Amino acid sequence: MATNSKAYSLPSNVSPETVANTSSLLRIVSLALISGAAIASRLFAVVNFESIIHEFDPWFNYRATRVLASKGFYAFWNWFDPTAWYPLGRVVGGTVYPGLMATSGVIYNILHALHLPVDIRNICVLLAPGFSALTAWSTYMFTKEMKDESAGLLAAAFIGIVPGYISRSVAGSYDNEAIAIFLLMFTFYCWIKALKTGSALFGTLAALFYFYMVAAWGGYAFITNMIPLHALALILMGRYSSRLYVAYSSWYAIGTLASMQVPFVGFQPVRTSEHMGALGVFGLLQIIAFAELVRSHVSSKQFQSLLYASVIGAGILGTAGIVGLTYKGWIAPWTGRFYSLWDTGYAKKYIPIIASVSEHQPTAWPSFFMDLHFLIFLFPAGVAMCFKQLRDEHVFVIIYAVVASYFAGVMVRLMLTLTPCVCVAAAVAFSSLLDTYIDPAEPNVPKEEAEATEADPGAADAPTTPKKAKKASAPPPTLGDFVGKFVVDEKKPHGIFGLNTRLAVILNALAMLVFFVLHCTWVTANAYSSPSVVLASSNPDGSQHIIDDFREAYYWLRQNTPQDAVVMSWWDYGYQIAGMADRPTLVDNNTWNNTHIATVGKAMSSSEEVAYPILRKHDVDYVLIIFGGLLGYSGDDINKFLWMVRIAQGVWPNEIQEPNYFTPRGEYRVDDQAPPAMKNSLMYKMSYYRFAELFGGQPAQDRVRGQQISKTSPTLDYLDEAFTSENWIVRIYQVRKEDLLGRDLKLANAFEAGRKRKKQKPPVRRRAIA
Amino acid sequence: MAGHWGIQFSFVALILFVKLVSAEHSFENTAIVRTVDLGGSLVHVTTTYAVKALEDDSSIYTIALGEDEAKKTSWMQAKVKGQTVPLQLEKFGLSPNTGAFLYAVEFPKALKANGTANLVVETVQTHATYPWPKTAAQNEGQSLKYEADLFILSPYPTLVQRTKIKSQFPKIHSYTTPEGVDAFTLESPVTKSGATLTYGPYNNIPAFTNKDFTKSQQKRIAVQYEYGNPILEITRLERAAEISHWGANLNIQDNVWLHNAGPELKGHFSRLEYQSQGYFRRVAPHTLSSLSLHLPAGIHDVYFYDLNGNVSTSHIRYAPSVPKGSSSNHFSLFEFRPRYPVMGGWNYSFTLGWDAPLADYAGWDKESGKYIVGIPLQTLYPGAVVDEAEVKIILPEGASDIKFYPPFPAIENTISNYITYLDTTGRPEITLQYQQLTDRHVGVIYVEYRVPFSAHLKKPLAVATALIALFALAFTWKRVDTRIQK
Amino acid sequence: MLLLPLLALFAFPLCLAATKDTREDLVRLAKAGNGIIKLDERTYDSLTASDREWSATIVFTALDTRRKCGPCKQFQPSFEAVAQAWNKVPATSRNEHFFAIADFDEAPKIFTKLGIQSAPVVHNYPVAEGPRKPAHGKPYPSTYDFSNGYAPEALAEHLSLYTPVRIPYRPPVDWAKYGTFAATGLILTTVARFIFPLLKSRITWAIITIGTILVMTGGHMFVRIRGMPYSDGPNWIAGGYQSQYGQETQVIALTYGILGGAFLMLTLVAPYQTSKSRQQLQVWLWSIVIFVMFSVLISLFRVKNRGYPFKLLL
Repeated sequence: MATNSKAYSLPSNVSPETVANTSSLLRIVSLALISGAAIASRLFAVVNFESIIHEFDPWFNYRATRVLASKGFYAFWNWFDPTAWYPLGRVVGGTVYPGLMATSGVIYNILHALHLPVDIRNICVLLAPGFSALTAWSTYMFTKEMKDESAGLLAAAFIGIVPGYISRSVAGSYDNEAIAIFLLMFTFYCWIKALKTGSALFGTLAALFYFYMVAAWGGYAFITNMIPLHALALILMGRYSSRLYVAYSSWYAIGTLASMQVPFVGFQPVRTSEHMGALGVFGLLQIIAFAELVRSHVSSKQFQSLLYASVIGAGILGTAGIVGLTYKGWIAPWTGRFYSLWDTGYAKKYIPIIASVSEHQPTAWPSFFMDLHFLIFLFPAGVAMCFKQLRDEHVFVIIYAVVASYFAGVMVRLMLTLTPCVCVAAAVAFSSLLDTYIDPAEPNVPKEEAEATEADPGAADAPTTPKKAKKASAPPPTLGDFVGKFVVDEKKPHGIFGLNTRLAVILNALAMLVFFVLHCTWVTANAYSSPSVVLASSNPDGSQHIIDDFREAYYWLRQNTPQDAVVMSWWDYGYQIAGMADRPTLVDNNTWNNTHIATVGKAMSSSEEVAYPILRKHDVDYVLIIFGGLLGYSGDDINKFLWMVRIAQGVWPNEIQEPNYFTPRGEYRVDDQAPPAMKNSLMYKMSYYRFAELFGGQPAQDRVRGQQISKTSPTLDYLDEAFTSENWIVRIYQVRKEDLLGRDLKLANAFEAGRKRKKQKPPVRRRAIA
Repeated sequence: MAGHWGIQFSFVALILFVKLVSAEHSFENTAIVRTVDLGGSLVHVTTTYAVKALEDDSSIYTIALGEDEAKKTSWMQAKVKGQTVPLQLEKFGLSPNTGAFLYAVEFPKALKANGTANLVVETVQTHATYPWPKTAAQNEGQSLKYEADLFILSPYPTLVQRTKIKSQFPKIHSYTTPEGVDAFTLESPVTKSGATLTYGPYNNIPAFTNKDFTKSQQKRIAVQYEYGNPILEITRLERAAEISHWGANLNIQDNVWLHNAGPELKGHFSRLEYQSQGYFRRVAPHTLSSLSLHLPAGIHDVYFYDLNGNVSTSHIRYAPSVPKGSSSNHFSLFEFRPRYPVMGGWNYSFTLGWDAPLADYAGWDKESGKYIVGIPLQTLYPGAVVDEAEVKIILPEGASDIKFYPPFPAIENTISNYITYLDTTGRPEITLQYQQLTDRHVGVIYVEYRVPFSAHLKKPLAVATALIALFALAFTWKRVDTRIQK
Repeated sequence: MLLLPLLALFAFPLCLAATKDTREDLVRLAKAGNGIIKLDERTYDSLTASDREWSATIVFTALDTRRKCGPCKQFQPSFEAVAQAWNKVPATSRNEHFFAIADFDEAPKIFTKLGIQSAPVVHNYPVAEGPRKPAHGKPYPSTYDFSNGYAPEALAEHLSLYTPVRIPYRPPVDWAKYGTFAATGLILTTVARFIFPLLKSRITWAIITIGTILVMTGGHMFVRIRGMPYSDGPNWIAGGYQSQYGQETQVIALTYGILGGAFLMLTLVAPYQTSKSRQQLQVWLWSIVIFVMFSVLISLFRVKNRGYPFKLLL
């Protein structure tokens, strides 16, 4: 269209290479800026609080990393941690995905080699933001393959600040996901590249990054099934090519062998169902390749048909073989965690521990919107774009979109895997919108207006309201016929008239982007940036007040108890105690041993007399509980108590029964009406021991349950209150040793009390302190 | 380890010793008055000797300390009454035949026969007291016990001597009344008035010449008294002072291992008790809940953390830096609150550090072309003894011909190499080891060193080269065609 | 309701009957109600007598349409199914456990007595006397929690803890399902040649894919897994950030669809418009649609998340 009219004029005297250089420079600059934004927006936690490891699991990773950094990789590799799961201990080297620790270890050593003695803690805290920048970059590369650089930049910007990804990668949340998403995107990029170019080099790269992913995160199974799914889809679409063959074979062969080097994975790739799909597709590809080969050499018609028969037969045989092996038990069936993704009721029934984790709950739509904002509705549009020009890589995005959106719906934490796909699709849609409306070229309309109009009825009567509503309300069909139409007549002249339309659309789009940024900032600052170790409240004068009870209590343990004192607590706090108090724990967040956890649950939920032998058997010295009643901290142990009961009931159904912990009316109460089982339970006693006295005369108010605690404090005969933190959030009790005279401790106490009463001085009158 | 004295003294020492041995009975003490004011882990003792010379130009006077007295004494200073300059004090250690530790002072001018002088000897004793009873419940008081010798030893005969024992808190629970001292006194051997005990006056104490005096006559006395402050003991102190000329900054960081040496907490800690005590302002004396420290003026960016990260419970009031030389006692007040109240027998280890403008501490000497930096030896924790201290001074990279003058001789000092951010060759690091530091061990370690201009340029050059190399690499990578087949 | 006179008939003897014939009466009642005893105050007292030698499962519900208790109606069939299943066990053990139902409109006093405000509630009364007395020996009832949904399997599973023998509940063979399966299969095979091109057309797949995505991101799985109702009477939007109703899924999916569609219109359709005026009209129209729908979406989100500070038009 040489004689094209322009909506606005561009400088014409610029040489193409100038344009090329400028644009590449601009790309680099904007990528740098995006990385900066990605890192900066994750530093809220550090700015508001301090450079500290967050939550629970990260504390273990941090501890393991410290071991790696101080003692070296081999020491870490065969590190047996006797303090975890006391008295069992834990072979850490073989039961973790070492990718994360190895990464920070390597960074640590490099920096020290460069005479930059950075503290390992800061490396761990800042690892996630650092890798988020890399994620942005790899998303850029990936999207570039889908559309072009401009879409890539948009995608990078989106993933840089989208809350769905920030939620798992703020500074201090030092968890596997921190690096996993980068690896995920880069592996996919390599795969797409390999598929497009048919280069074994990229196939191998994909395999290597796949290996890194396997070493880093249990979610690697997602890749293990995504790529074969893509390959299979391509085959079914009749898009088999030597490129596909090379890419897949190189990826699968090398990737699988490499992944088996990770001790925690071991022989799973050939023994478990999660990996069988990949193997099956690999076999199928071989057969098809062979068939193609033969066909290229043989001409006779019958032979070909026979060949096809044999190919299909072989395929069927292969699948049958795998299925047979599964039944024979040579191949393990799906593991619980994965299985619960399909049969969504499974975990709740059979694995209460998994079900009890909050991040394994299904996702309601608000959290989708919270995490993705306007990307969530650009997402389907982008997928539609992919359908419009259905290249191999677009098929990948489409499959990814469907699978990931299902998983994200089933489990909150899998929102993480959906987010990159959403960013890519949305970026494709958004950038093609911008392309259309920024392009200054105006269409030169052929004379026959009429014909054009009737060729485009849908658009013609779009304005008339009812039709529009219908059309808009059901985008897929409209999309359908339009895709259908425009796929056929791409040649048709098209473009935008006038400047006002351009401005309207572009301003609208920009406004949305701005809104998106505001949203992301707000969500990040408010929802995702508090290290649950330190709580923040605000003073009357509005200034921030730090509630630091956890660290206070942990530090007390660390400084004033013997190095080998065993601490019992509910499993949530195991890693924190190990990390901050440096003491042996009975159970921790690595929930592999249900019975052990149930033992703790039983001790907590049964009466002192029953619990004491259990404590002594596991030579527990201190019992640590979390109590929010004074401050209104709702995440405390009384609120988690029912899970302890349930899990204990699972193992000792006729000693612990959940119904006994409810009032006859089936309410959950801690006040006077609390059922005896509740009142006698160790957890209840430890939580409310001398709590009422704090209020002196006034009725004691539990600020979490909003109930009044009975004035008479429960009595403890087998434990002593050893420490209570400033706001009573953490309470630590010491388990008494057996009585020297071999009396039962209860009797001994009664005796002591009797003696005491004789020489009793008048008690001190107290007034309320709180 | 006491007083001001140079390094190469052994020769003089020899002479002095000869003199001392020859100088039998060249003095007599007309009176000795000793004042002990009782404290927690530090006990200050002041002894005044009224000395009369028996023969001409006798200038070397010998002071004796009993064995365990000497063991406890970790700081000692002798002055002539009314003068400010301390006298040379020479330590001879245990003299075997007398069983006492001997020190020699030399009067500024020798005394004629029957000439008199008043010698004031101040000492600080550490770990001289211990909690008694050894355990105390959370709501009980705290009382300590102090033990000492009754008679003040001296190699010279003493006409009259007296020991006053003062307690800053009114209550003295019990004290020993010495028996069989009628040989020296006629009225009661000890009198108590308020919070002060007076032993003596005792007359005509013979000069002790050999062990049998200490055996036969010497008595032990013990005082049990109330003490109202927590007894602090810093088991270890690591101070690192890092000098940076580029940042014009002096960073000082203390790693402190704090221990409450008061009576062990009986039973368990009850937050309820503690909070009600705080509510009624009746916090038990052996509870360390907070402490206010005097940090130097003009500092900024104070940080206070422990192994679990930042401690948010403390406050600081900064004071502007004062011009050098002016003797104004400005200081930044640091409200020190541990994470948890440190009860008797508990520990709390932490790190406290700050930055200060280098100009306040360093100067440049034109003619010698050297920098001179003064590093404070320690920050005082009120009433605390530092069992062992390690002071590190990290000089800028490339500092050469280094000299340092500590206020008190260190047990051990070394110069090693220390590598930190972006160093190429590393920095010289002076390490000084001390033991039993008291509140009298305040002073400044002066370090002088030379830094050539080239050394200043080292760091920027290193960084620049690294970056340039990086760019060059990227450049070539972009330009060179790495494809195998075109 | 011909049961009521019957109850009246039994009322008197029940009051002062020894447990033995109480049991017989209960058995009779159960038979009359074909496995389920319809309770009033008296029968309730006798069923939950402190010296009972049997266990009992009582549903407190409000089936009357005036009460508008959706859950009650949802739960009723599965409860009946389980009760029927219990009928199958031999009489000896069958008479050890009774299923009973107390409807608010027939026995409001019971509700007030127990202070039950919500329905349905299932109470399991353990045996108070005799050999089957539970280990903890506490006579007061335990409540069945509906967190597993209203499915009869789960109910039977749980109640079997209290019955002398396992409740032989077997989910009924769903002939309709198999029928439809067979039929569809048949149809597919017959019209295979016609639908094959449809399968090949990318449009079909686009519709399927995007439909799935919209439904999933609308929170369908949450509704499925949590067994949320379609809507709670008039208010179709569930309070609280962490929950939603079935209807929300549809509304949200629709909103997303409209917005996405509008974007596609702007990108794919408007440019191919050959008449300038019409194109401008379209562009403006779709831009406005986007803006309006987006602000609707935001306002919905503000309902769910009170703290959300931003808003557009409304």
